[in-house]
Amino acid sequence: MTDNVLLELRDVGKVFVETIALSPTNLAVKEGSFVAIVGPSGCGKSTLFNVIAGLLRPDSGEVRLADQPVTGATGHVGYMLQKDLLVPWRTVEDNITMAARLTRRVTADDRAEARRVAVQYGLGDFLRHYPSALSGGMRQRVAFMRTLVTHQQLLLLDEPFGALDAQTRLEMQQWLLQVWRDTGRTVLFITHDVDESIFLSDRILVMSPRPGRVVADLANPLPRPRDIATLTDPQFNELKSRIMGLLHGVAT
Amino acid sequence: MSGARDSGVARPVKSFTYRSVAGPGRETSRRSGKWRAVARNVGIPILSMALLVLTWEWIVVGFHIAPYIAPRPMQAYEAVRSDWVTLWPLVLATIRETIYGYSSGALLGVFLGVVMAKVQFLQRMVYPVLVLSQAVPIIALAAPLVLILGFSVVPIVIIVAWIVFFPVTVNVLDGLSHVDQDLLNLARVYGASRWRTFVQIEIPATTTPLFSGLKIGATYAVTGAIIGELVASNGSSLALYQEHANSNLNTPAVYGTTILMTIIGISWFLLVVGAEVLATPWQRRSVARRPWRRRREAALTTAQVEN
Repeated sequence: MTDNVLLELRDVGKVFVETIALSPTNLAVKEGSFVAIVGPSGCGKSTLFNVIAGLLRPDSGEVRLADQPVTGATGHVGYMLQKDLLVPWRTVEDNITMAARLTRRVTADDRAEARRVAVQYGLGDFLRHYPSALSGGMRQRVAFMRTLVTHQQLLLLDEPFGALDAQTRLEMQQWLLQVWRDTGRTVLFITHDVDESIFLSDRILVMSPRPGRVVADLANPLPRPRDIATLTDPQFNELKSRIMGLLHGVAT
Repeated sequence: MSGARDSGVARPVKSFTYRSVAGPGRETSRRSGKWRAVARNVGIPILSMALLVLTWEWIVVGFHIAPYIAPRPMQAYEAVRSDWVTLWPLVLATIRETIYGYSSGALLGVFLGVVMAKVQFLQRMVYPVLVLSQAVPIIALAAPLVLILGFSVVPIVIIVAWIVFFPVTVNVLDGLSHVDQDLLNLARVYGASRWRTFVQIEIPATTTPLFSGLKIGATYAVTGAIIGELVASNGSSLALYQEHANSNLNTPAVYGTTILMTIIGISWFLLVVGAEVLATPWQRRSVARRPWRRRREAALTTAQVEN
């Protein structure tokens, strides 16, 4: 992690038909950091993401990426949802190169990189498979590789493992940490799973609904690299009870 | 077969690679499975058609039905075979009308579907007219068409297109309006242009409904051509041949031509189904065939990894 601020939100707010989806929010995310966002549904997590991704134009405020204003503009982040959104008519390799195909001609370099990434992260035998032949965890990996090869520094991951079973999810979390360490990207990670947010992040934003807002900005003191033992660390439980208190209004 | 599959599972599993979902065991058993599928998909339909012909034979023979009311299958076949020299050019003409009418109808159908999906205003304006066009009885349509265009192939082609475009339009419109919004958003986040999103996402996502429309159209296309011939053909056509046979009480020839028309219809449908199979390999295969031009690059990558 460096001290450079990669993403900056200045008073960014969004209102939907008199509901304050996101009250004016300020946020600075450092390059190379892993920021988790937890909160119940309706707290404005996804609104926040869609504003950063450029899918929604905020009613107020400004989004800046690497010191450039990008409010309402698309094409500057990697983006991944709980739904893998792989297209069934393309092979794994061609799904990974999808961003290139959507913006320009796919080159031999693009394909070579897709193959390299797939081989490196355990899907080398499945490059010519169609997504329908893959398991849920594998599909999510392909979706993440597709996000990775966009070469965007900022990755927005919206509950990417939400649909997976507990076992696979834990596996995927460890895998994600490995990839994050290898590639040095900046990650914003939405989840409703408190354990997940603590296990992965450097920093946790807790959000709350009506109006959607960030109610706490917590530093995650847990050392890296993290493994299964992290999940039973006293610091882990301390942080967890604090977040649970914030989410459910229990005094701590 | 189960032995082959077991050997696939028992292979040593490399750490962090998946093997169990589609291991090599499946590859070896694919060939016999393929022939089994062919037997199932082709053999059973042929068997059911043979049964149909047999039932026809039994009814005619069993109830002592006179040949001028209903002939036996062999008599119908004989009627066609004996006059094949006359019939063959008529069959070709019907096929030609079907091809022209079907392709123009399908193209028009896709065009209208795309335009209506993209421009809401046009959808509101054009859709009711399209529904109206299908409510007009096709026979009632044929007469004015002949008055305007004369006895020729043109009104026949128009009638076929008229029938074919509608299911294509409805299905394409439906398909295009139901493309996953999240997928379209993803394309936007990547910074894709509308044109590339259309070509790379929306069109392939509409393949299945498009072929539904094309298949429905295919079943009606030959019927349309025959109706057209009945009203608009100048002198000789399969439909008029049948009408002539009917007025001469040549019932075997009537049945024979009906069978000919049916065969053209089924063949046309099967052709469209074949096109769908070729166009949508991902619906039947779990692994893509490797395009030849990429083979070398792939071989290189594999070599690098193995070293």
